[in-house]
Amino acid sequence: MGRVLLLHGLIVLCAAVAHAQSPSAPIALRGGKLLTVSHGVIDNGVLVIDNGKIAAVGRSGEVAIPKAARVIDVKGMTVYPGLIDSHTNLGLTEITQVAMTNDLVEPSDEITPHMHVYDAFHAESELIPVTRMNGITNAIVAPAETNTLPGQSSLVQLDGRSRDQMLLVRDLALMMNFTGAQRRNETWDSRKFPQTRMGLAAQLRQAFLDAQDYAHRWEEYEKRKAAKEKDPSLKDKERPKRDLKLEALLPYLEGKKPVVLAAEEASDVEVALSLAREFNLRVVLNHITHSQTLLDKIAEAKLPVIVGPIYRTPKDNERYDVVYRLPAELARRGIKFAFASYDAHDVRNLPYAAGYAVAWGVPYDEALKALTLNPAEIWGVAAQLGSLDVGKTANVVVADGDPLDVRTDVKRVFIAGREVPLTSRQTALRDAYMK
Amino acid sequence: MRRPLLALIPLLGFAALAPAQDVTRPTGKNEIVIRNATLLTVTHGRIENGSVYIKDGKIVAFGARVDVPASATVIEAAGKFVTPGIIDAHSHSALDDDVNEATSPVTPHMRMQDAFDYTDKAVYRSLAGGVTTSLSLHGSANMIGGQAIVFKHKYGLGRDQMLFAGAPRSIKFASGENPKRVYGALKQMPSTRMGNFAVQRQALAEARDYMHEWDQYEAKVAKGDADAKRPKRDLKLEALAEVLRGHFLVQIHCYRADEFLTEIAIAREFGYKIRAFHHALEAYKVPEEIAQEGIAIATFADWWGYKHEAWDAIPWNAVMAMRKGVRVAIKSDSNDFARRLNQEAGKIMRYGGATEDEALRMITLNPAWIIGVEDRVGSIDVGKDADLVIWDGYPLSSYGRPDKVFIDGDLYFDRSLPGYGMPQYKEGN
Repeated sequence: MGRVLLLHGLIVLCAAVAHAQSPSAPIALRGGKLLTVSHGVIDNGVLVIDNGKIAAVGRSGEVAIPKAARVIDVKGMTVYPGLIDSHTNLGLTEITQVAMTNDLVEPSDEITPHMHVYDAFHAESELIPVTRMNGITNAIVAPAETNTLPGQSSLVQLDGRSRDQMLLVRDLALMMNFTGAQRRNETWDSRKFPQTRMGLAAQLRQAFLDAQDYAHRWEEYEKRKAAKEKDPSLKDKERPKRDLKLEALLPYLEGKKPVVLAAEEASDVEVALSLAREFNLRVVLNHITHSQTLLDKIAEAKLPVIVGPIYRTPKDNERYDVVYRLPAELARRGIKFAFASYDAHDVRNLPYAAGYAVAWGVPYDEALKALTLNPAEIWGVAAQLGSLDVGKTANVVVADGDPLDVRTDVKRVFIAGREVPLTSRQTALRDAYMK
Repeated sequence: MRRPLLALIPLLGFAALAPAQDVTRPTGKNEIVIRNATLLTVTHGRIENGSVYIKDGKIVAFGARVDVPASATVIEAAGKFVTPGIIDAHSHSALDDDVNEATSPVTPHMRMQDAFDYTDKAVYRSLAGGVTTSLSLHGSANMIGGQAIVFKHKYGLGRDQMLFAGAPRSIKFASGENPKRVYGALKQMPSTRMGNFAVQRQALAEARDYMHEWDQYEAKVAKGDADAKRPKRDLKLEALAEVLRGHFLVQIHCYRADEFLTEIAIAREFGYKIRAFHHALEAYKVPEEIAQEGIAIATFADWWGYKHEAWDAIPWNAVMAMRKGVRVAIKSDSNDFARRLNQEAGKIMRYGGATEDEALRMITLNPAWIIGVEDRVGSIDVGKDADLVIWDGYPLSSYGRPDKVFIDGDLYFDRSLPGYGMPQYKEGN
């Protein structure tokens, strides 16, 4: 009883550990090929899951399997850490063209950093079980990119009894978009500010300046309040009005959390980066799909990159394969990068994009890392996620082959140690009509 | 007999390194042997260490033992795979965004030929993904759209060289949410599925009348009746009358099981044949009904949920329909997917366990049948057009990339070339 209570306390403290449905008996996956990500491949390995965590990893015969363990033979199978999608809309949409099922972005304003994905994330989305079936266990959920500052993303785990159990990091990062899609000039007749890149940049700059100003006003106010406690004769300073929008920017201006800066073309990346430097923002780059000329600079600045979608069509003056090759170019320069689906329904195909990047020159290990350990590091959760290592959350996938290949079938998925049933609305339909 | 590959370059008329004025155009007269490759023939299974001999634009011989004439250029392809060119049964590329005449739900007189932009880069990009033939269709705004084009991806050539000579004519119909949405927004009929089918029936009924009028007129003229009144020509009804006479392959965009059944009923009522249901994401619900009519489907591997009528899409659709006797193609419907249809077919092996042959057939011979060119392309067979792809890895995986793409025996894409991997022909082709 005491142990259960203690466990429960831990869950509340750290949702990443496990949730209430974690099995009590340890599980041992025996005989499989372990792609540990952090320390190579172990053929004929054993992985032990206990209390929602990875309890042991090693060669068969060298790892003690607990007596009470449920042993699962995974001979001929591949075992790897759950995959992480570094940018999705999962849980914010159900059917793209059915407006009432979408919570993707607040279109009335371009600057909405006080939007929190965790307020809308739909834990019961039918898209989530579909996604898990291809071994994706974690996702960074972000609002749609049509606003300059559409809101703050969340890191979720794709299984849990409730939304709150699935949210590992509620406000993970500030999304900042400068791809041009944020311009409000879709039609001349409905034009409004900002219509140009200049407008976008000015608007962004003003927003950050307003936030600095806001912080300053509060500081002054608090200072005076403190001083007045010592010297009551001092005049009151007017209490600033609370402004959630500006308040939301403060942790980012203080460099406490990363800003995910999306731009595609080199010139846009440079403008957005200079804006970020102006305000000392900690930057993770996003997309950069047409920025081949800038890659050395990015490497020099040691900026991490969320890359893709690698299927984005090149520009008419570009080779057909420039976007396919981009991850390889990043890998070649030692830039830390992670893959993303930038989608909701299509998240399940994330590993295949990584496979395609391998075909176009990314070393295999690097590609797998860009779906696991790299994102865990970029998002600050490498202590819990991203590799088959003792002490990490037991997000573990068993498949009948190469995880990056389209032909591979995922056989088992464990999230926080719990084996997730590989069923979805789609398998239910399949089974109903197969009869 | 073996010659260095470099020797090919002048022979085949490549130009990437040479100044544009030195370039000769594809000849259609090459004599080439691709050898020691794994052949995925589609109709004769897999042949290890196989060779294909092409001459004058056609496949002359293939197999594990092919005599290599001294006159032929040899391409050594050990460790590589050779497939027939991929065929895309549903695309909108090369139409310069002129895809929908969305001003009336019935526009059978729209001819995609009139919008054909053969310089569209999308043609080159899907060529680089192994696609050699595409059916480019009117969009889905209209219940009855327009007349499609079939073209080969001979990027860099002109209009006449690219259009697939002798391919039958296809026409596009569409039902479901798109016509509802387009005309609903204009507060016009159709804005419901009932409206959709009423519009379709009305148009076909008018076409039937028109056809009878002309038949009667011509009969009178044949009898020597000098007073016979010549009916007015109406392009719209004329095109639909040709549908009724069976002169078009009817390609219908529709998603839902109930729509397949209604379209089948209407086709029976008016006496025309449906060639294929496109999208057809719910084919798994009524596969027998579709198979019985001899209708094929051109569907996605796993795309779903983008609209309500795609909500019941499942990635097992293709295999479930195939097992019940439906001829299945995987198509792109997008310039993006068209670049990697091989991977999309690979997914069919995973979802439902299609064999290599079955999966490959879904992007070669089956779409060829849907387009009506299965006698010419879609498999490695003697006498067929020499449309071939050499892949550097297994094509039905995440890893295979086209190294070289041949159409009618000429090389149109070569990844090893600097620049864009394609020949740059001089002006005035």
